[in-house]
Amino acid sequence: MNRIVRTNLFDITGLILLAAAFLLLSLKLDVGDVLPSSFLNLNTIFLSILIEAFPFVLIGVLIAGVIQIFVTEEHIQRWIPQSRTKAIIMSCIVGALFPACECGIVPIVRRLVAKGVPLYAAIGFMLTGPLINPIVIASTYMAFGNNAAIAGWRMGLGFAVALIVAFLVSFFFRGHQFKEALVSTQTLSASRKKEPFTKRFFSMLTHSIDEFFDMAKFLIFGAFLAAAVQTYMPAKSLLEAGDGPFSSIAVMMGLAYVLSLCSEADAFIGSSFNSIFPTPSVLAFLIFGPMIDLKNTLMMLSVFRAKFVFSVLFFVATTVFLSIVLVQSFL
Amino acid sequence: MVFQTQQAVRAAILLFFTVLIFKFHYTGEITKFINPKYIGLSQIASVLFLILFFIQITRIWEKKTHHHHHDHECSHNHDCDHNHDHGNTPMTLKKVISYVIIAFPLVTGFTIPAKVLDSSIAEKKGGMAVITGKSEKPSPSTDESANEEVAQPSDTEVLPNPYGEITQEEMNSLVQKLKQSDPIDMDDYVYYLNYEEISKDVASFKGKEITLKGFVYKEDGFQSDQLVISRFLITHCVADASIIGFLTQFEEAATLEKDTWVEATGILDVTTYNGTEMPFIKITDWKTIEQPSEPYLFPLNVRIL
Repeated sequence: MNRIVRTNLFDITGLILLAAAFLLLSLKLDVGDVLPSSFLNLNTIFLSILIEAFPFVLIGVLIAGVIQIFVTEEHIQRWIPQSRTKAIIMSCIVGALFPACECGIVPIVRRLVAKGVPLYAAIGFMLTGPLINPIVIASTYMAFGNNAAIAGWRMGLGFAVALIVAFLVSFFFRGHQFKEALVSTQTLSASRKKEPFTKRFFSMLTHSIDEFFDMAKFLIFGAFLAAAVQTYMPAKSLLEAGDGPFSSIAVMMGLAYVLSLCSEADAFIGSSFNSIFPTPSVLAFLIFGPMIDLKNTLMMLSVFRAKFVFSVLFFVATTVFLSIVLVQSFL
Repeated sequence: MVFQTQQAVRAAILLFFTVLIFKFHYTGEITKFINPKYIGLSQIASVLFLILFFIQITRIWEKKTHHHHHDHECSHNHDCDHNHDHGNTPMTLKKVISYVIIAFPLVTGFTIPAKVLDSSIAEKKGGMAVITGKSEKPSPSTDESANEEVAQPSDTEVLPNPYGEITQEEMNSLVQKLKQSDPIDMDDYVYYLNYEEISKDVASFKGKEITLKGFVYKEDGFQSDQLVISRFLITHCVADASIIGFLTQFEEAATLEKDTWVEATGILDVTTYNGTEMPFIKITDWKTIEQPSEPYLFPLNVRIL
């Protein structure tokens, strides 16, 4: 008897969990009536952000798992140019070609840095990844009345900002800037290479799971904060604050930050502000949001030291702000 | 064989996320969260969660009791440069809190029904400021598309292919159709397109009859006979909902509560609100309706390449 139980342990546990899941499905739990309607709104927005983000996060952690198991330090050293300038330019271009979403990119960046990609190159990749890709270009083009100018400025200026921030990071920070708890001194063992593919594939998947649980709490907390902001903070007070040309840029950047919209979806929101605010401010919204936002900051905090995260936030914010101020006479 | 509580918790969480997303799809609640165009993507997420769950259950029963730490030597079959939590270290309060955070959306997802966004959100999203904002600047592409349309036979019927992409020509013929129609029917499929076209050039639509539906939105500064018949436009998920709508005027407006769904017919006119010219409808006929099963609008996807 004991042995039967032991050999079928996996099946039994799985069955128990499945039974619990079906129980949950069949239960008609409904506490919607006792809660205030503003909380119901909040919950709906909160869950929708998660449902929207999960596919990208899962793909992100799977890619991170692949990097972890199948990419070695030697590969990285061969691929990344030795020169800092070349490495930054290359990372920004790779990011631009890589169709990522900002929810999924943090785990990838973390794995890349752990594998020896220079921090500045990883940041360049992180900033251009979500901002410059075909879906974002298409949605921006459509949202602004099939006008290519805004989409063009968004990509061009965004690329320049990413380059500048990557350079700033390379001047101010050394090493990987991981949180203390995450620091590991070990390198990939040579034995791993000899393991059969199926085993490596399996450990890739378990790594992806661990990565997901590392990120999920920050993603969920960030999504909740963003939903709370949307439910309780009136945009009107923000709109009134953004009267002058400079303050309106700052206000739109602040809005992009707290709303934490997906880069593929923010163009229509941006365009709805197009006439309340001058075009440069809307452009600031469109460039700043995909690079870094509330949800993303929390996810970065799960990996990097707080000082580093806030420095990157500061670099991105000032660079976007100043570059918009510089180019606004052309818009 | 030792039971790993944390691994079991993780397996349960992965499974429950699978089931939660499945539930939203099965009950159709999913369209209250995301644009139906992205339904496939969210199903992929559900399947990925399920796959990860099947991987995870194999970790619930560990053969030996080794709690390996991060500075552990590389003797076992785990990967060695692990700089993250494998879920084998003992439960601490910090971990309990993080599992509670991760389980939170599961609890609310299973117990609290999805709600259709209401006028309080419309107000938080900027309300009239956003609605009036839409009409100020005519888009430079207006004339260009008007020229192309001459060559296009106007009666080309575009097959309503919800959530699919349409070509530039198909969109132009939709615009053309709008310009020739009187009365204008604000069907959900073309609502946003028509809304943009009308806002761009209100004057040319002046005097036309229009039929539309939406929920009642009111704001301070409205006259008692005014209200906005509004809708939410969802690009990706309800977090990016933006409010659109028409300012309308009719006597009984004062009696209508916020968030009431109405279907109304009226004559398009131009008015100025806070110094902005914008479309305005004098309602001739209206009735209250049930909230439609698909309350949100989704933008048309025009193929660019």
